[in-house]
Parts: sequence; C-alpha cells; structure tokens
Amino acid sequence: MLRRLRSLFRVLTSRRDFEEGMSGELRFHIDQLTEDLARSGVPRQEAARRARMEFGSLNAVAEECREARGLNPFDELIRQLRHAARWLRKTPGFTATALMTLAVCLGANITIFAVVDSILLRPLPFPEASRLVTVFNTYPKAGVDRDGSSIANYYERRGRIPAFAAVAMYSYGTAVVGEAGSIEREEITRVSPDFFSTLGTGPAMGRSFTDEETSDQTDKIVILTDAYWREHFNADPQVIGKQLRMDGTWNTVAGVLPPGFRFLSSAARLYAPLPSRPEDRSSRQRHSGGNTRQMIARLNPGATLAQAQAQIDAQNATLEADDPQAKMMADAGFRSVVASLHADHVRSIRPVVLWMQAGAMVLLLIGGVNLTNLLLIRASSRLKEVAVRQALGASRRRIISEAIVETTLLTLVGGLLGLVAGAGGIRLLSVLGADRLPLGSDIAFDARLACIAVLGAIAMGLALAAPVAWFSLRGHMTVAIQSETRGGTPSRAAQNLRHGFTVAQIALAMILLTSAGLLGLSLERAMAVSPGFRPDHVLTAQIAVPWNRYPNWPARLAFNERLLNGMARQPGVSAAGVVNNVPFSGNSGKSAATVEGHPRLPGESPRGHYSYGVDGDYFAAMGFSLLEGRFLTADDSRRSARFCVVDEDFARYYWPHGSALGQRLFVGSEAATGAQSFTVVGVVSAAKQAGLTDQTAQGAVYYPYALRTDDKLFLVVRTSIQPESLGLALQKTVRQIDPELPVTDIRSMDTRIADSLVAQRSPALVASVFSLIALLLIAVGVYGVLSYAVAQRRREIGVRMALGARPDQIRSQFLWRAIRLLAAGEMLGLTGAWLTGRAMRTLLFQVPPLHAATFTAAAGVIGVVSVAACLLPAHRAARVSPMEALADQ
Amino acid sequence: MGKSAELLPGTLDLLILKAVSLRPLHGYGVLQRIQQISGDALEIPQGSLYPALYRLEHQQLIAAEWGVSDNNRRAKYYKLSAAGRRRLREETAGWNRLASAMAAALNTTPEEV
Repeated sequence: MLRRLRSLFRVLTSRRDFEEGMSGELRFHIDQLTEDLARSGVPRQEAARRARMEFGSLNAVAEECREARGLNPFDELIRQLRHAARWLRKTPGFTATALMTLAVCLGANITIFAVVDSILLRPLPFPEASRLVTVFNTYPKAGVDRDGSSIANYYERRGRIPAFAAVAMYSYGTAVVGEAGSIEREEITRVSPDFFSTLGTGPAMGRSFTDEETSDQTDKIVILTDAYWREHFNADPQVIGKQLRMDGTWNTVAGVLPPGFRFLSSAARLYAPLPSRPEDRSSRQRHSGGNTRQMIARLNPGATLAQAQAQIDAQNATLEADDPQAKMMADAGFRSVVASLHADHVRSIRPVVLWMQAGAMVLLLIGGVNLTNLLLIRASSRLKEVAVRQALGASRRRIISEAIVETTLLTLVGGLLGLVAGAGGIRLLSVLGADRLPLGSDIAFDARLACIAVLGAIAMGLALAAPVAWFSLRGHMTVAIQSETRGGTPSRAAQNLRHGFTVAQIALAMILLTSAGLLGLSLERAMAVSPGFRPDHVLTAQIAVPWNRYPNWPARLAFNERLLNGMARQPGVSAAGVVNNVPFSGNSGKSAATVEGHPRLPGESPRGHYSYGVDGDYFAAMGFSLLEGRFLTADDSRRSARFCVVDEDFARYYWPHGSALGQRLFVGSEAATGAQSFTVVGVVSAAKQAGLTDQTAQGAVYYPYALRTDDKLFLVVRTSIQPESLGLALQKTVRQIDPELPVTDIRSMDTRIADSLVAQRSPALVASVFSLIALLLIAVGVYGVLSYAVAQRRREIGVRMALGARPDQIRSQFLWRAIRLLAAGEMLGLTGAWLTGRAMRTLLFQVPPLHAATFTAAAGVIGVVSVAACLLPAHRAARVSPMEALADQ
Repeated sequence: MGKSAELLPGTLDLLILKAVSLRPLHGYGVLQRIQQISGDALEIPQGSLYPALYRLEHQQLIAAEWGVSDNNRRAKYYKLSAAGRRRLREETAGWNRLASAMAAALNTTPEEV
C-alpha cells in the first residue's frame, strides 16, 4: 500500500514527464511495428496504417495506462476543480459575496477559537498537567471566597495527603533588582522547595531550592528564567554561584529554568524561596493565608479530585478538633477546596470566552445559511443541466462529487481569507487587552490554529454540498426538465427550503442582536454605578517602600510627609494622600475586625472587611463624602490616639439604629484589651474595592497609616488639571526623596475603573461587532432570496401586468412575502433570545434576561434592515415590462 | 503462424514478468519475446500490453529505465525487480500446480475412478 502511494506520489510530482514518457513509448512501439511490417514486404504507407490499426486507439490505451498508474481519480478531481474555478470566475458577484461571508464568519471563529484554545483547551505547559491542582481556603459566610493557603496548611499537608504526590506553595511579589541606585523592578515569585518538582519542570541548569533555604536568613538564593539569564547574564554558562542584588541584599544564583518556563499567567522572571518563621508554621497561623500565598499539588497517578478533597476534608476535621478557633471558622463556613489548577486559573473568564465562541458559531451559522440559500438558487438555475446530464448517463456519484468540489473550493478559498481575517482579529484582540486575561498572553496565530481552520473550512464545504447535492438529485428528472423549459413557477419544496433558511437566519440574528444589547446595557449600567468617591481628576501611583530601607515607623511616616509635601507643591494639586491599597488596584483582600459590644451571635459568621491605612488628605484626594464625624488626618498617624473611620456599610451593619461615632473596635477576629481598641471618629461613603459590579456590602475600616501598612503604598493626588499630565512630576518628586524607590502603576482613577470593566466590555464589544456582521449577512440573504424570486417569476409578473395588474400590487406582494418571513423569524428569534438571555445571566449586570426595550429594539433594527434589503428587488418586480418578460424565452 | 490460443485472464502479467526476467526489454521487445517463447502460440493484442506494464510498474514488480534501442532510438526498458522475481517464482509454481492438477484431472479414465 505504502509502496503504491509512493509510486503514485512520484508520478504526480512529475506529471508532465509521465505524460511525455508515455506518449514517446507508445509512439516508439507503433514505429517499431511499422518498420517490422515494412521489412516483411508491406509497402511503407500500408504498414503505418496497419500498425495503427493493430495497436488500437492511442487515447484509449493512454487512458488505461493512466488508470493502471492510479491517476484517474486525480485527473477527475483536477478536471472538476478547473470546472468549479471557471464557474466561480464566471459569476464574480456571487463569488465575492460568498467569499466575503466566509472570510468574515470563519475569521471571527478563528479569532475567538484562538482565545478558547489558548485559555481553555491547551493543557498547561507541564508534564501531565491534568494532575496539577490548587487548594485554597474559603470562608463564604464571612464574605471571603478565597483566602489562599497558609504556611501552616503547607507543613500540615506535606506528605500527609495520600492522594497528593507533591504539595508546594507560591506567592507573587516584586523586588528591586540591581546595584544601589537601581529602580528596576522585577516580578518575582517566591516558592517552596518542592515547587518545581510538583510542576514536573525543574531548572535546566543548577539546582532547585532545598528545605534548609526556607528561613529569612537562608533564603538569599535565586533561580533565573531563561529569558532573564540571557538578558542580564548574557547567557553565561558559569552563572551558577554568581550574585544578584535583590531589594538591597545579595542573592546567589542557584539555577536557570528551561526556555519557555512560565507558571500560569505570571510574568515573573526570578524565583526565590518563600521564607517563613517557625511561628508561621504553627497551627495558630492555619487561617492566615490572606490570599497572597497559594498552594498547588500534584495528584498521584490514579487519584481523583474527589479523593483528594475527601482526604483534605478529613484532615481539616481532625486538625480543627483541638483548635480554639475552630468554632468561629466553622461559623464562617470554612473549607479547603481542591480544584484543577488550570480550570481554577481560568474560571472567571471561562463563561465569557465560551459565550463569545457561541456568538461566533451563530454568526457562522447565519453565514452558512446565507451561502446555502445562494447555492440552492444557483443549483436550481442549473437543475435542467443536471437533469440532462443525468439522462445522458452522468452518475449520481459524479453529481455529488461535483457539488462537493465546488463548495469545498469555495470554502477553502474563503477559509484562507478567513485565516487572514483571523490573524487580524487576534491582533485586534491584543489591542483590546486580551493579553491581560488569564493565560491570555499565549493567544497566538500558529500552525495548529491554521490546520484546525483549514479542516473547519473543508467540513463546512462538505456541509454546504449536502443540500446542494440533495436538491440537484431530488429525482423527477423529467419534471425538472419540463418545468424549467416552460419557465413556470419554481418548485414548492425548493422555495419552502429557501424560506425556512431565511426565517432561521433572522431568528439567529435576533439572538445575536439581543445578546449584544443585553451585554451593552449591562456595561452601561455597570459604568453608571458610583464607585463611592469622585474618580475624576485623580492620579494614583504605587510606590514600593522596602522595610530594609525604611525599617521603622518614624522613617516611614517621614517619607510619607516629604512625599505629600512635595506633591502638594505641584501646580493644580488640591489634595494628596497615601493609602496601603487603593480601590480598583486589583487586590481585594479582606481582614477581620471585631466590634466592641457586638458579640457574635450563635451561627453568625465573623465578617471580612476591607481595611485600609491612610495618611495625608486621603479622603479629600479621593473625593469621599463625609456622612458623620470627621475624616482621619495626617495628625492621626502621628499621635498615640487610636482613631478610625468606617464606611457606611460597616456602620449600617453594626449600628443600624444608632450612631457609629465613639464606638470602639479591634483589629482581628477577637476583642482585645481596651488599650488596643480604635475609636470611630467618622463615617464615610462606601467605596467599591474589587469592581463596580461588586454587589456585596463588605464594609471598610480606615486606620491611621502607622497602624496598618504594607511594604508598598499608593499615592493619591487630586488635581485641577488633566491627572495623567502630573505623572512625570510625581516620579520626579519620588526620585528627589529617594532615587531607589520604584514608582509603578501610574494611572488615573478613571482609567483604573475603565480597566476593571474589561470583563464586561470585551464581550459587549465582540457581540456588537458580531451583530453588525449578522445584520449585513441577513441583508445580503434577504436581498438574494427575494431577487431570485423576482427573477424567476418575471414571466409570471409579465403576464399579470399584461392582464392589468398594477405595479404597486406586484410590489406589495413581494414586500408582504418578505414581511411574513421576517415576522416568523423574529417570533422564533424572540424565544431563542429569551432562552439565551437566561443562560447567560452570569454575564449580565442589573439587566433582566427578558428586557423588553432591548428585544423591541433588536426586532426593530432587524425589521428595518430586512425591509430595506427587499425594497430594491420588490421595486424591480414592479418595473418588469410585460413585453420584455414575455419575449425573454 | 500456428494456431494461437486466447490468453487466460491474469496470465499476461505472468508472461510479462517471465519475458523481462531474461533480460531488460522495451515494450515492443516484451511483445516479441512473449510471442517467441510461446512459439507464436499466444496472441497478445498490441494495445493491451501497456496498461499491464504500467500496472506492474505501479506495483513495483518491474522497474523502468530509459535507454537506447538497437536502432538508436530512446526507449523505455523494463527489468524485473526483486519483488517481481519473487512474484514470478510464486506464480510459476502456482501455475504449474494448477496445470498438473488440470492435466491429471482431464486424463482420468473411467477405470481410475
């Protein structure tokens, strides 16, 4: 078999040589025969004639030879391809419409499929990645859905969960890398020693971390990614043992990771040990995950998620038995969840991506229906030709294969154009910010995608050929021949089929349009939500203030003071403040607070609140409104008095009937001694932290900066000028105070809010684009079908006109027919749109799935577009001249 | 020319293999050789030779090579491949078995039954 294929391939690649050789060989034979005959005494001319006679038809022999060589199917295919190409060239209008439809529909699908493929389908780039899981703590009743895992969890689980082959921890962060004076900031992931072995991909050079390298003193080592090694060490093969300065201390390079190593969506190019103190590992710290440290694990071969979950649950139950906090954690709904690492990483984006793919598929369906209708119209115009050919002996197989070759040629060319469109679409996606999606930076146009696209185009060609072939072969040759020669009315079945397709098309467009409308409305409503402060004219920036440079409170407060004074001197600045975590920063970690005189009721869970440390005129800079009492001021951070401000939600929850002012609360989940309490001095408006669509009233507490802080801070400046224009002045101010402090994430508050809506904006945008295309497609579809109907019934119209029908009667007859189709399509579409709206409820924000205005608008737009599309053909029908129409045939 | 026999189906391939097994031949030569070795008893239609040759070449039982004929013309010469030689051996044995079986069957007299 293989041998024959190879021989066939050789012949196909040098087809011309084969033909020349064959005719030369046959000629040689005839010449030899002639000569032999001549030599035996036959006159020369007679000999030549006899030789040709004896040999038989040269063409027939050549054809048999080709067949013997297995060439016939190919010759046939090439003939059919040529025929199909000629046919497409002869009707440029149809071909252009079909190719544009295919290019747009396939392009849209390729673009979205690239997203689906890279985010959902492709396994993570680790060996047997399906066995990788993540484990996180959740306290749903306290409003904390994810709290990562704690160091204590890690040490308790390591080697004790039979379903896990390995357990590891990681934590994202940043570090200032380089010599003194450098402000180059690198993302760095801190990991436990077994991190790389859990993933199954370790350093390509050097070694991994050890268990001894997990304390603050012993963690001064680093593993480089291949990219960092090439860029900063010039790919030095002797790099192991060299020193790299990180956050002011020297770290020894222990290893270099293989090229292409990338953990989830992290852009980290440096990996360092995740240090912990003995007390972090104790059971008292079991619930201090804080969502900054995450756990991954590798399942043993054969172990399932459910087994791992059961074992974790069992271990938690055992450990909680002698835990003083157990009761409270149980009230908070505490659980440790085991989930697939890949699925968990993309969980938020999964429905969005799938819905976008569904939208693209609907678009493809509309385009496919359009093409089917156009192809059916062509097929019916050739019905007579097909019938005659069948009568002359053309086999059904041949008619079918012709239909397949024609449609597949069309879809293949369309598919290639679609690849171009898709490549453009993928570029457009990255402009829209798709690379910020989880695993989004892997979205790329590659050979795998191209192969899938070509296969898809071929499949579509086959699918389109089916109705055409069916229609062409639908028996009754004589009927076809007769009816078409008489130029009578079209066959009912064909017309019903075309009308059915048009109705389906309108229904699908209706679904797309309403979805786009619902998503757009959700986006608009989300944008209309007040963030709880005035985001206009506010510039924000993140500044890292490392503890080793500013080791104590006076130093840190002095830095804040110089910073705020420096900013206050800038032109147009009306207020400047500092906060440890600005709203819409992307970090929405919560922590517990306990209110004095508010013992938790049985069954009431401890609540997680946003807690902030503020300095300077933070509230004024952000534009919070004061509801009661006063704001915290810079002085509060510099006095020993312990005051705090709470937000509306917090006050309403704990003191629904009285004033919050003068009440006292404690940091943490337990009330402490009176000296550690904070007295509420003010109530401010509630701010959104995670996003505008955040619906839960979480409550927030604002503490003086000195009492609540991280190693980084956000500077917030309100200005009367364009906020972005203050960026350079901001950086300069920081540099004057301390040239080693990196300033990152300089964005206006408005930009932060806009960026936070990417999950709402991109589906709305994609759905709108798809809807526009769908409208164009149904316009083309309705126009095509109606034009054909008019052309086909020219004769009939002519007769009626000759008998006295008025043009406007003819016109309204065709318009009514279109409107009937439209109404049927919209009714069907309405039902579909309602079901779709219900199914995609998770993507909607404050919009019911059955939104009358949106549905009406979608129906209206589709109605206007379709009626407009049939005006021209209807008008043409009314202008048919009886004389010409009757003289036509 | 004596009385010529009809060719049994499938025997042309075997005859071609046999002809080119003696020495490489061009198509016309194959025809002549078959007529010669069969003592002119087998009549092969001129045109039917080539599809058979192409089929055998496609099956790689024979290999073709361009050469120069006796009268100095370019001609395609066929020779037996290793697979062809094996096939020839098998088919010859098969043919002989069949022939002797047929002969035995046809020579049977009533007494022998």
